[in-house]
Amino acid sequence: MNKITKTFTSVAMAVGIVSAVATSATAGEFDGVTLKVATWGGSWKENMEKVIVPKFEALGGKIEFVTGSPASSFAKLVAGRGRAPFDVMEVLDAQVGDFAQVDYLQPINLDLIPNKSNLQPFQYNTTYVGSWFTQEVICYNTEKFSELGIPAPKTYADLAVPALQDKVSLPDINSGAGLANFGGVIFAAGGDEQNIQPGLDLMAKINATKFWKRGGETKTQFETGDIYAAVVHAGWCARAARAGSPVMSVHPEIKPGVKGLAKEGWLGIMKSSENVAAAHWFINEYLTTDFQYEYAINSGVFPLNSEAIEKMKSDEINARLMEMDAGNISKMLRIDYNKVDKTAWIDGWNKTLTTN
Amino acid sequence: MENRWIAYLIPPFIVTLLLVAGSQFVFIQNSFYQDLGLGRTGTDLTLVNYLNFFTDSFYLKTFWITIKVSALASLFTLFLGFPIAYVIARMKSRLAMLLLAGIVVSTFVTIVIKVFGLIIIFSADGVLNTTLMNLGLIDRAYSIIGTQEGIVVGLMHFTIGFSVLLLYSVVVTVPPSLEYAAQIHGASRWRVYQRVIIPLCTPGFVVGGLMIFNMCMGAFTSAALLGGGRVLTLPVLVQRTVMMEVKYSTAASIAFVLLVSVILINLISLIAIRRLRSARLVIA
Repeated sequence: MNKITKTFTSVAMAVGIVSAVATSATAGEFDGVTLKVATWGGSWKENMEKVIVPKFEALGGKIEFVTGSPASSFAKLVAGRGRAPFDVMEVLDAQVGDFAQVDYLQPINLDLIPNKSNLQPFQYNTTYVGSWFTQEVICYNTEKFSELGIPAPKTYADLAVPALQDKVSLPDINSGAGLANFGGVIFAAGGDEQNIQPGLDLMAKINATKFWKRGGETKTQFETGDIYAAVVHAGWCARAARAGSPVMSVHPEIKPGVKGLAKEGWLGIMKSSENVAAAHWFINEYLTTDFQYEYAINSGVFPLNSEAIEKMKSDEINARLMEMDAGNISKMLRIDYNKVDKTAWIDGWNKTLTTN
Repeated sequence: MENRWIAYLIPPFIVTLLLVAGSQFVFIQNSFYQDLGLGRTGTDLTLVNYLNFFTDSFYLKTFWITIKVSALASLFTLFLGFPIAYVIARMKSRLAMLLLAGIVVSTFVTIVIKVFGLIIIFSADGVLNTTLMNLGLIDRAYSIIGTQEGIVVGLMHFTIGFSVLLLYSVVVTVPPSLEYAAQIHGASRWRVYQRVIIPLCTPGFVVGGLMIFNMCMGAFTSAALLGGGRVLTLPVLVQRTVMMEVKYSTAASIAFVLLVSVILINLISLIAIRRLRSARLVIA
């Protein structure tokens, strides 16, 4: 080995050792940890892979996703009697009561979630931390409505006109948005949590062509001309608009002083999780401005992070289709699921609106 | 000699039985406990889930729709599949193998893709509706989503390839010489079909029809995607009950009713056909 080669080898080894030490100094926190997160597939997972996963990997850990709806995640949890195949889970507002009954979540140490400072105090507690909310709207094709000479809808009842028969898509009761929007229709029709018949009658009168299971179906149906209106969250309306469909959204009038409907998403840590520190880290990252904004733009949900909300206003399509005013947002209907007999709602739906 | 070959069948039979029966046992056992919601069940054995099923018009209607769409799809699939199978079976060129290979390949295409193809073809701006409207035959786009007709079309699409392959294997067992003999003796082409080909293929129709029917009764994807949440079949209802409502016992009872009904329909059909054939043989 000549002198040049020896020198080169020594320098290379030194650089290697230094970089290895430097890497381990930053990457040690979650070495060998595999955090499993139950969330939706598609853009939801992709956003996490893009923003959160690289940061976790830099700390030595690995994130795996268990994709599916919160309902299917809950079913897996129940089937495993609380032994979950995941550490962190997206929970819908409609499921909070179910979780309270089965006691499958562990307390969250809010001191480990410093980014909660970007949220309103009612958006976190020691069991759940808020992650996003959606604005459930009537999304409609402005060109088709003009062609048919129908005015823009103001509430759900405006979809029950002959010209729109078989041209409206509503969320299936078993979809993530099903209970919330059915609740909205019930209240708008004059019913309440116990008296659901007015809502069922109005749904039957609308005579939807399809009850969608995933919001993406409505985007496709707008493109193929199969529907002229859909009850869906504003993010899907925004996606349809970005894909070139001439759509506009309306926050439905539900009752005096209440306009629009909100559906909330939460995060919880499973009692069976052994990666508690990593789970807290994940929830904290979920609340950063960068992720909340990325999520909102790509998935269409509305952020909870105040800085991300401000950034949202700069996007023309979001500003047009979503309510940005905090005062108006606070007036949106939020279903109180503690008063809802979900079995009765689902049975009523099945017997009135399906298999006809 | 024959007994020795039968002995070879015993191990796979036991494995199959264990896999099928073992997985079904827990599920079926669960159906005899009352559902308490959120995946919890009672501790006392009860028939309440079955009573609910057979006394609730919603479940009975769903059951009837499942049988109806499956029977119609099986019938139409046989009706469409037989001419194709017959033509291919009687082809003497290499094109026959090419066509068969095409059909085999088409069965590899996942049903989700096939159904989305149908949705695009039948969409409001799709080829079919556009053509029919341009011809003035309809004034409003027809949608197959959310209709029983749509599910029938989806099930046919799901089973047609299998049906052609199955019927092809039946038709090739009928010697063409029988057709020539009938024609030489003055039978018309229709008469040959009526008195020679169809009677000889009848056992194949029955077995094929039942196999297609069984596939349709258990089909989930076509029914879920084309039913659009408005028309439910039993497999879709089982999925909704398990995944969305987390009512395992109710779902298990629905699945068990589906399983037993399929077995019964198959047995009754086979007995009926056997009796019909015996009666014919006696008359002949």
